[in-house]
Amino acid sequence: MPRLSNGLLRHAYTINPLLAPLLRSCRDLTSAQNELRWLREHVKLTQTSLNKSHGSLLRRFVCERASGKPLQYILGTEYFGDLEIQCRPGVLIPRQDTAASVTHLVHLLRRAEGLPSELRVLDLCTGTGCIPLLFRHQFEKARREDVRLRLLGVDVSEKAVRLAHHNLKCVFQEHGYRDSKAVIEFMMGDVLIDPCGDQTFDPPSFKAVMDFLRKPQFWNILISNPPYISPSAYWKTTTRSVRGFEPKLALVPPAREEKPGTEQGDTFYPRLLEIAYDVEAEIVLFEVADLDQALRVARMARDIKIFDGIEIWRDQPDQNDEDDPSPHCEFKVTGQGNGRSVLCWRGRGSKWLGKGGAKHITSDRSPIRNAFFATYKF
Amino acid sequence: MPPTPWVCRTCLLRIGKPALRQFFRFQSTSSTPESIPPALLSRARKIADEHKELTQKLANGFDTRAAKILGEYSPIVNALKEWDKANEVSRIRDPAVALSVPYLNTRAEGHIKSLTELTSLIHDHTTDPELLALASDDLGLTRTLLANASQRLTTSVVPVHPFAHLPCLIEIRPGAGGSEAAIFAGDLLRMYQAFCNRNNFRSTLLKYENADGTSEAGVPLSEAVLEIDSENAYGVFRCEAGVHRVQRVPATESKGRTHTSAASVLVLPSLQESALGEEDFENPESDYYVDPKEVRVEIMRARGAGGQHVNTTDSAVRLTHIPTNTVVSIQDSRSQPKNKEKAWRLLRSRLAQARREKREEEAVAMRRSVVGVAKMGRGDKVRTYNWNQQRVTDHRSGTTVHDLDDVMEGGETLDRVMESVRSWLMERDVEALIAEEEADEKKK
Repeated sequence: MPRLSNGLLRHAYTINPLLAPLLRSCRDLTSAQNELRWLREHVKLTQTSLNKSHGSLLRRFVCERASGKPLQYILGTEYFGDLEIQCRPGVLIPRQDTAASVTHLVHLLRRAEGLPSELRVLDLCTGTGCIPLLFRHQFEKARREDVRLRLLGVDVSEKAVRLAHHNLKCVFQEHGYRDSKAVIEFMMGDVLIDPCGDQTFDPPSFKAVMDFLRKPQFWNILISNPPYISPSAYWKTTTRSVRGFEPKLALVPPAREEKPGTEQGDTFYPRLLEIAYDVEAEIVLFEVADLDQALRVARMARDIKIFDGIEIWRDQPDQNDEDDPSPHCEFKVTGQGNGRSVLCWRGRGSKWLGKGGAKHITSDRSPIRNAFFATYKF
Repeated sequence: MPPTPWVCRTCLLRIGKPALRQFFRFQSTSSTPESIPPALLSRARKIADEHKELTQKLANGFDTRAAKILGEYSPIVNALKEWDKANEVSRIRDPAVALSVPYLNTRAEGHIKSLTELTSLIHDHTTDPELLALASDDLGLTRTLLANASQRLTTSVVPVHPFAHLPCLIEIRPGAGGSEAAIFAGDLLRMYQAFCNRNNFRSTLLKYENADGTSEAGVPLSEAVLEIDSENAYGVFRCEAGVHRVQRVPATESKGRTHTSAASVLVLPSLQESALGEEDFENPESDYYVDPKEVRVEIMRARGAGGQHVNTTDSAVRLTHIPTNTVVSIQDSRSQPKNKEKAWRLLRSRLAQARREKREEEAVAMRRSVVGVAKMGRGDKVRTYNWNQQRVTDHRSGTTVHDLDDVMEGGETLDRVMESVRSWLMERDVEALIAEEEADEKKK
């Protein structure tokens, strides 16, 4: 992190004395000015008691922000697409990039023909519940009478599930969705626990909960934004504010003795692909850290040999393709920015996404599958 | 002998001058309410002639197109007839007034012909007081009749501005004059807000940036965009576009000198979907059409890895229209989609305005010989606010009002100023129209 120049600090101080401490977290003047403005608005909105003046509360917030606490935790909300999602310490703050991918996916699906009468969307590692909520919000805009949504969000953390329920209520109050028939549910479950291995009940395995609560066995779309940062990247590339205040549980996959380094970042994906296989998902969207991880995950998805097509999306998949200097002829890469997500589809999914050329593969794939999951052992 | 008290020379000199000097405006483009610009009148007459021709043509056989035009013209013709009648009345009545006083009869007969003469009769010191009372009575009546008729004729002939029915955006930016200009820009913004409140216009502040990047009131303004949602807002505020000049002792001045600063006000028609309909955005012929391929969308992304690695709050959106190099940048809201939506709205408005101006440019070049500088761009100053004299002067209509405080509070005095500019603009429009028609005829 480069040092802030004295000139910049002095300049910020002359504009407003509160800007100088904010620069410690924001690193540039315009965003510091924006954050100060938002903090000020927040103070004006929230202050009801008269025992504290605006100034002292604002100063306290600025101090907190200067110590690195994310603005989203101070203000209590973050915008995810069009939605204002509540954030609390202990649950990952929704990211703009995730919103861009989800919005783009829904945008592709909105005009799709041949959608089932009940479109089932499963979101694993849901956190604040932002992905199912945004999915519904965007899908309702299409006003499709023929499709009913069923969304299920799963998270390992009890705190996250509680917050997700709270968000469901908040978003419903704000937007109403009067004639919406969509069903959104959240539940606790651990994605990583092997359903065939020894069962624990705190938290229970995802599969066991699904069976226990008699949730549908098959799901059309699987979305996930799992922890994907390797321990080394956690210390190198994450910002101070992320390391210091956001839960490590949501960022770094748990350590497994036989897989060191970068591979620890990939821990979730084989298991997620296995779930995709089990629930017979026709569209799968995983968020990843960068283009390298995207390629690793895409190769994994190719090796399981159930998907008709695999694509990599950058931060803004709806933008024109970046003129890419390095030729990744292996998979199609669309959009602009960093490699952000991997999209796989098969069967009817290719028609919904408008990808065409669906191959009809009906043969039993279990031998291939077993071989695949044997190589990516848990 | 007591010594003579010392008297300041300036004070001595001042004794000789009248205590209250009247400010006269010797040259002005302003018009009196009851007079009608000759250009407008000639156009109305022309239309009346055409109307007559068309009526004859229709008497011989029905023609849909002619009937349609006739329908459009008939209110103009009716208004013209009414005006003629009002004018006639004033002509007939004047001799009657003159006849009532025998000794004036010889003097006035044949001379008093019009309303203007009647007016001069009143102002003449030699007029008999009895006659004066009669004349002034008559004058009032005639005047209102004529004024009403003129008003109706003017509004029927003048073409309505194509954007007049739309809501509008007012952009205020400080011009020359440093922080004083910025303070004045803030004053202007409050003036318009107060004006909207008083006249029941719905106004929302789309963008507000202080010199220090916050939205605290009272700090010098660096840019503000006020959106006025009500219908016809563009027609009302169109006259406000231009450079507004202020002359006062600024709050920032320590030595008490008067400064002259300026703030520019830009008025754009607001192109909301509700006002225009979806098809206008999709139709390439329309002014509001913007090809998404020609716009570069820049979202301020986190530097470095992005995703879970950072929790940035950057929500700024910058749109660049590549062919015209128009840049719109919005970072007001924490929500990126909201910023994007606002940015698109602003970009559409700016491009439509630019296109319209470009089209008008060609027409203006032709009109200029007749009309002079009539384009309401950023060009010259349009209005002066003078604090020392408590005066507001509009340089286009030549109106001067002295209730500065009421103007700055958006009161009725501002209404009066704006009204005068609107009628002035209307005259320009008519002159331009006639010039265009004449040019067309020449071409033929």
